Amino acid sequence: MSVGASTVELTGVSKRYGRTRALGDVDLAFDRGVTGLLGPNGAGKTTLLRIVATSIAADSGEVRLLGRDPHRSHADVTAVRRELGYLPQELGYPSDMTAFGFLEYVAVLKEWNDRQARSQAVRRALDAVGLADQATVRVSRLSGGQRRRVGLAQALLGDPRLVVLDEPTTGLDPAQRADLRRTLSARGHRSTVLLSTHQTEDVAALCERVVVLAGGTVRFDGAVTDLVATAVGQVWLADEPGEDALVSWRTGTGRHHVVGGRPVGADPAQPTLEDAYLLMLGPDAHRVPASS
Amino acid sequence: MTIGTQGWHADSALLSSYLAGALDAVVGASVEQHVSRCDTCRAAVGHLLEPRLVERTWASIREVVEHPSLPFVVRLARRCGLREPTAVLLAGAASLRGAWLVGAFLSLSFATLAAYASGGTALAPFLLVAPLAPVLGVAAAYGPRQDPLEALVATAPYGRTRLILLRTIGVLVSMLPVTVLLGLALPGPPWLAAAWLGPALALVPVLLAIAAFVGPRTAATVVSLAWSGVVLGSTRGFGPTWPVEAAQQGVYVLLALAACTVIAVRARADRQPGVAL
Repeated sequence: MSVGASTVELTGVSKRYGRTRALGDVDLAFDRGVTGLLGPNGAGKTTLLRIVATSIAADSGEVRLLGRDPHRSHADVTAVRRELGYLPQELGYPSDMTAFGFLEYVAVLKEWNDRQARSQAVRRALDAVGLADQATVRVSRLSGGQRRRVGLAQALLGDPRLVVLDEPTTGLDPAQRADLRRTLSARGHRSTVLLSTHQTEDVAALCERVVVLAGGTVRFDGAVTDLVATAVGQVWLADEPGEDALVSWRTGTGRHHVVGGRPVGADPAQPTLEDAYLLMLGPDAHRVPASS
Repeated sequence: MTIGTQGWHADSALLSSYLAGALDAVVGASVEQHVSRCDTCRAAVGHLLEPRLVERTWASIREVVEHPSLPFVVRLARRCGLREPTAVLLAGAASLRGAWLVGAFLSLSFATLAAYASGGTALAPFLLVAPLAPVLGVAAAYGPRQDPLEALVATAPYGRTRLILLRTIGVLVSMLPVTVLLGLALPGPPWLAAAWLGPALALVPVLLAIAAFVGPRTAATVVSLAWSGVVLGSTRGFGPTWPVEAAQQGVYVLLALAACTVIAVRARADRQPGVAL
């Protein structure tokens, strides 16, 4: 890896599925730390993560991962994959494998051929996601949240330098999400972690950096605090829902949380990342990607 | 034993003999019962034990509890010298599991029985089933629906092509010997016992080549229909051994070579991102 190069460098990356543009001319670079990808369904988050995970190729643009071009040779893409941990959005689990057996299988696919070292790595990974005591339980008997954590454990096997997680918090309860945040924040000190999620609170709690995607383009790229700051002065607490508001809802206190246009008699409220995200996207937050 | 303030305790000489396995069955069982209930003696045993022995014992317990039991075929292959990581990968293939293999062997046995009962005039069932059994086994050994881990296989350093070929060999090795033995029971010329190998060994690479473009399920359907057409078509106006006679074997060799070429070209791109079944 050349000096100064980022772990992940995407330059002018585009990808289409038929007539639908999934990514359009995206420039991004990622280094050590946890970065969250936010965006509505069809924004291009999964496509971006699959390109970084070497699962699919970009139609155009340059992709450099860990200082290598994965398209150049078998040796390059294999070298990248040895340093990669990937949790796909949808991961099937063989029903007859135990949590330990599943991770061991993945470890062999990752070319961990020494049985003792492999077993230790598997136990470390299960321990990291709080499933050490479920090692011998069949995956089919685990709850949805536990299965998702098994999936996360396989992505963390062997301390990869690049960790790509597509919606890792799906199906997790609040306590499990808190555990996940602790695991990933510790991992972010020594690895480059990219994760996509619909949970803005996960990004706010975990990520130093956030990238907002919509329609296959980058709408925002910066610190979480900077994104939240864009919403200052645009979020209100009011007795009535604002007519000009982008979105508003009645809160448990009986007052309305209003994002966007200020209703009459409204009091300013402290914006959250979710408010800023909704304002950033505007009507696109609800839009299904259109063919172009 | 000595009498302490809280009851009987085993002295260190007795405990050492127990740990060394030097006690007879009755005394050994008695000490074991006592140690399981007496904190003091259990602590004394802890001091007498070699830490390395404890670690080794604990590791072997973990080994038994945590490691998945391998299918019979894979265990057999391990005994024949198969590497342990390879065995783990083979164990993940559904078509190397007992139920699938039993089903395949039953089909072959019935086909053999039918041929035998007809006195050699009805070879079609055997010639239909024998080459297709490994083809379907290979198709069932990989692919997004057969392998729930496909998304991970595609991004693993091991490589999809390598995994598919490994499983293909696993399926062939597990099925061919029994099929050859069943073939020996067929009435007719002796060469018939091995003649089905020609189409079997050709159809497997043809399946893999087609699967590289349309996936294993569609490929298995195409290959099965094509081979069924050949076998059933030959029953009208041709001899019962026509599908496996010398001229046809030449065609199978050419087919296999063409399929292997397609696979080789495809495999070169396997580790490149963007290549998917």
